[in-house]
Amino acid sequence: MKVKVVSSILEANQRIAAQNRRLFDDAKVFVINLMGAPGAGKTSVLVNTLNLIKNKAKIGVIEGDIAGTHDAELVRETGVPVVQINTNGACHLDANMINAVLNEDFPLKGLDFLIIENVGNLVCPAEFDVGEHMKVMVLSLTEGDDKPLKYPLMFRESRALIINKMDLLPHLDVDVEKIRHDAISINRELETFALSCKTQSGFDYWIKWLTGLK
Amino acid sequence: MHEASLALSILDTVTRKCSEGGYQIVESIHLRIGRASGVLPEALLFAFNVLKADSIACSSKLIIEHVPVGGTCNCCGETFHTDEYYVIKCPWCGAAELSVTNGFEMDIVEMEVS
Repeated sequence: MKVKVVSSILEANQRIAAQNRRLFDDAKVFVINLMGAPGAGKTSVLVNTLNLIKNKAKIGVIEGDIAGTHDAELVRETGVPVVQINTNGACHLDANMINAVLNEDFPLKGLDFLIIENVGNLVCPAEFDVGEHMKVMVLSLTEGDDKPLKYPLMFRESRALIINKMDLLPHLDVDVEKIRHDAISINRELETFALSCKTQSGFDYWIKWLTGLK
Repeated sequence: MHEASLALSILDTVTRKCSEGGYQIVESIHLRIGRASGVLPEALLFAFNVLKADSIACSSKLIIEHVPVGGTCNCCGETFHTDEYYVIKCPWCGAAELSVTNGFEMDIVEMEVS
């Protein structure tokens, strides 16, 4: 006999992501899942952001990397509480990994924002809900201006796109407007920011938008 | 995209449903997989056929229904569908103002049991 199942294949991850989101909502924490390719500048954007808003808002960070604690140590230098997840081979964070951190007395209460820096990868993180309220991606100019059309799902799933390393524009054959145009063609709701961690240009607008979310 | 992990998820769900319903044998499992989901059906089938061995679904067949990428153009109002992985421009008017509503499915629809 036929039995209706009507379940997503990713049902287990979605269930745990929903649990995580309930914990976040109960604690009134706004959670961002920060994604991007390796070397895009996720940690640099994060550290610069933390230094600019840590006196205005309470923030926590969960770092995700295949191995090592390099990024968590950079975050720790800002004074913001951080936990490092090592996936030991998995190319993205999933809801279960975040749930495990939350169940180990992660200091969620009192936070305004939790930023989860995902494993560097332009493919899989877009597929997995970890319970966040918003996905934000970082794309650096050195990756070229063809990435939106090559990796549409990442751009579709993100609420904001940070175009990083703008200080290198004079040295590159990259069309920033093409990046914006193609990304917005995929996702009309996408908010875009162009900034440089080196010169700090563009951060004012990004910080204003970010702090306005809560 | 992690088809072995997806195959294990399918087997977990099916095993749980069989336990809840008291079913002994799974004969087939019907999936709907969208073309834009990132799932490679051939890889999923391969992984499933290897991993099902010690489960209640050991003699089952995986039936994959492919869902094309589709939606509506917000410019000309026409609907579209394609077997391509993704659509950026309307095939009718060329505008990049699409509402893509189908093609991301990764669903277990039903199973045939006894």
